Formats: sequence, structure tokens, C-alpha cells
Amino acid sequence: MQAVVEQPGTVDEAVASGEASALLDPADVGRVVRASATLTPVERVGVYQGMYLLRMVEALQGDYPAVAHFLGDDAFAELVTRYVRAHPSTSYTLNRLGNRFPDFIRESRGLRRRGFLVDLARLEMAVTQVFDAPETPPLTAEAIAAVREDEWPNAVLEPIAALRALSFAHPVNAYLQSVKDDDHDHPAVTRNGTRVVVWRKRFEVWRLDVEEKPFALLQALLKGQPFGKAVARAAEDLKGVGGEPIYRWLRDWVAEGMFAAIRR
Amino acid sequence: MTSSRNRWGFPDLGVGVGLRTSHYPHILERKPDVDFFEVLSENYLDTGGRPMHVLEQVADRYPIVMHGVSMSIGSTDPLDREYLGKLKALADRTRALWVSDHLCWTGVAGRNTHDLLPMPYTEEALRHVASRVRAVSDALERPLMLENASTYAEFTASTMTEQEFFGRLMEDADCGMLLDVNNVYVSAFNHGTDPKAYLDAIDPSRVAQYHLAGHTNKGTHIIDTHNDHVIDPVWELYRRSVARTGDVATLLEWDADIPEFEIVHAEARKALAYRSHVNETVRAAS
Repeated sequence: MQAVVEQPGTVDEAVASGEASALLDPADVGRVVRASATLTPVERVGVYQGMYLLRMVEALQGDYPAVAHFLGDDAFAELVTRYVRAHPSTSYTLNRLGNRFPDFIRESRGLRRRGFLVDLARLEMAVTQVFDAPETPPLTAEAIAAVREDEWPNAVLEPIAALRALSFAHPVNAYLQSVKDDDHDHPAVTRNGTRVVVWRKRFEVWRLDVEEKPFALLQALLKGQPFGKAVARAAEDLKGVGGEPIYRWLRDWVAEGMFAAIRR
Repeated sequence: MTSSRNRWGFPDLGVGVGLRTSHYPHILERKPDVDFFEVLSENYLDTGGRPMHVLEQVADRYPIVMHGVSMSIGSTDPLDREYLGKLKALADRTRALWVSDHLCWTGVAGRNTHDLLPMPYTEEALRHVASRVRAVSDALERPLMLENASTYAEFTASTMTEQEFFGRLMEDADCGMLLDVNNVYVSAFNHGTDPKAYLDAIDPSRVAQYHLAGHTNKGTHIIDTHNDHVIDPVWELYRRSVARTGDVATLLEWDADIPEFEIVHAEARKALAYRSHVNETVRAAS
């Protein structure tokens, strides 16, 4: 039955598919499933088969609404059909169904604007991951004040679990926002490097486009680089502008609850 | 909250509704007078974000019961121990009064169709499911309640009716029943059987909870869509069953085209009138 349920197309095509017919000759379905007064055995199995792909499409539409919007209903459903054939759910939860979706898009040759879609899917997957990540209390002013001056160079800032920093070749955050705003005047899909931080604050998911230099500092910190080394490198990048921007970036990130602890 | 006639002494929690995302703000801000909430277990097993934050607040204020869709108790795949571990942790964390899932299978060969696929009702299947129910009850350290799923197909291999299978399973594995009256109606329509005969065959002492919901009638068959009000024939079946079981915790499911909370809650509270009517009838007769 499962071999039929998971097949795309009509139920007659599903019953006749190689996977299903290897287990049961299509002519023998009536020997396994009873007819009802109104439906044939195949039609009864078709009730389940018809709902399977709808369920998969709905689940991935929930996780990747902007990818779905960009492709349109039919193309998205076709992509999901191919995806779940390659990667059927193996988990008790549909929340994990889309874990390989960005990689699958990357490998889907012939897909229109594939590079943009890969970036968009990566951003949407980060949003989902951040939404579900464990809750870690943000860094407090007391914890910062407790660090002695001589400890700062080797201190390591630990991010909250619900934070991702990603770089893209396209302005996907702007596109995602236009979809969320139901604004059909979408930004142009051009190659234009962007960097986005996705994090959760007070159980809400936030996204922020970040310039190249602060993003480099944030990434260094997220990778566990000692505070002194990361800041020195950022100061070098700023070429004599002074430490004020760095102070401002760090202050804002701490205020936004992006860090959880300071390891000394 | 009173004791009902079920053998575990599970309380009659009254009339509850399913906890759904679109109702979170209303529930947290207005704190409606709901007897209990049922949560879809899988929605809370892997999240440390807002859903769990909301559930903890709801669990502080209301009794909680847990209802799952992925146990796949009828499958021939091994039980998913990671899943069961998380289920128990969630039940402990939310102080859930009981845990339920469905008599069905959701997939084999490591795959999950995320549908409630029908069982063949055979002696072999009965032995298989009973042993798994016992294993699950041990893992969860609490009795398991199984719901009758809506079914759209039946197997020629079945040697007994679903209600007979349920009756023997509950005896053999000492599990309880989450009796979904809408599903009884839906399956009976789809199979051309008598829903009253189904209800009358169920051991009332095994019923720990009722489900009620709306459905979609396609003419040739009915789909269990949970997207509408409960139809009158289902309410009448509920009345008939409550006359046998006494008042049992009753929950309204509304999972698609979900209206405002007040509409869902008002639909659930219709059950109170049916319960009262049954009680008055019983008192008048005695």
C-alpha cells in the first residue's frame, strides 16, 4: 500500500508503477483491498495516495514560503514531488522533511534561477532552524561587567543557539521580506552579495542584513576567535576610522541578545 | 473534574479543545475558561522556541493531554526509541495526564507517509500490535490510549471487525481507547457498516477520552478533514456512547480552516449539553 501511496500521478499510474507492481500485480489489488459500495479497491487506495503529495507540498510550503512563491504553485509542487521521491520522510516529524531541500535545489539542473533559489532556500531553512533552536538566555550586563580588563583579549563570546550568520550571492532577505509583506513589487533577482544574520529574541525570529565588515567580525566571533584578535582584525579592516563602529556593532549585538556567555 | 468510569481512574476533564498556533495569542492574553487542552505531541518534541514557551504557560494553567500521529504502532518497523524517549520527556515536562496515538501504521522500511494507514484486522496483527503497545506503555511509564482512525480502505485479509480488534487489543495489552466518534461515523460511511453497532461493542470502561470533529463528505466517501462543525448524526452517536461510558473527557478537533478561538470553543461546549441530557435521562430512568 505504501508503495502506491508514495507514487505521484493518478492512482492507476501509481498502482502500475514499477515499485508498486513489483509487490502486487495491478490486477490483484482487489484480492488485497475490498471494494466499497461506491469505490473500487484501487479508488479506495487512491484516497490515501491523493493526500500524500498534498501533505508533503503543504509541509514544505510552510518551511519554504518564498521559494514556493517564486516558483508558483505548479512548479513548486513538481519540485516537491521530485524531492520527496529522492528524500522521503524518515522522521516522526515533518519538521525535518525539508532539511535537504536547499541541496536538492542546488542539484536540480534546469531549474530557473537556481542560484537565487538555493540562496533563498538556505535563508528559509535558517529561519526554521532558529525558530526551533533551544532557548539560551542572553548575555547579561552583569556577566559583561564581571570580565576583568586583562581577560578581554582571550575571552570568547559564545552565541545563543538560535542564531545563524549566512552570506549569499543574491539579495534574498529583501525578497523574503517582500513575500512576507505580500508586496508583489519584488526586488530584482540580481547577483549582489549580501549577508544576513537570523536570530531569535524573546521567541520571535529576526533577520538583519549586515554590511561586509561587521559581518566579518561577527563571523570571527561566532567561530570562537578570541575577542582581542577578532577586534584587532576588524580595526585593521576599518583602516584608521577608529574603534567607535566596532563598539557600536558589539553593543547592538549584545543588546539584541545574540550572545549567551563569555568564556574566559 | 470528576472521576469517570474508566479503569485507570483518569478524571473526566470536561470539554477541551486542541491547542493550535493561530490561537496562541488569544489563549495567553484572554485565558479562556477551557477545561483542558490537547497538544499534538510531534509539534513540541523538537522545538525550544515559541511553541514550547507557549505550551509551558498553557500547562501551568490548564490540564494537558498529549495526542500523537507518528507512533506507527501497527508498523513492522522497530519502535522508534528516540521518539518514545522524547514523548515521555514531553509528557513529564507538561504533566500530561495521558498520552494517545492511533491504531494504524504510518510507514515501513524507515519511511513515514505521515498518514494514518489502515490495519488488517487479523490474529497476527493483533499479537504484533499488543506486544508493541505493552512495550510503549513500559517506555512511557503510563498506559497508552489508542484512537480509532478514520479509514478509507479495508483489507480482505481481515478476520474480525475493527471494534472486535480494539476490544481484544485493549484486553491483551491493557491499553485504553480514545474514542473518536466522528471517525466511527466516517469509517462506517466509507465501509457501509453500522456506527451504532461499533459504539455498542466498545468496552465503556476502556474509554478515557472522546474526540469530535467535522469532516468532508465527497458523496462516494467521507474524508476526515477536521475543518468544520460537528454534524448532528455525530452528536447523536456521541450521546449514545456517553450513555454507556458516563461523562468522559471530550475534545473538539479543528485543524483546517481554523476559525477564531471562540467559535472552536463554542463548538466544543455543545458537548456539555449532550452530556447533561444523557445524565438527566439516566437520572429520570433510575
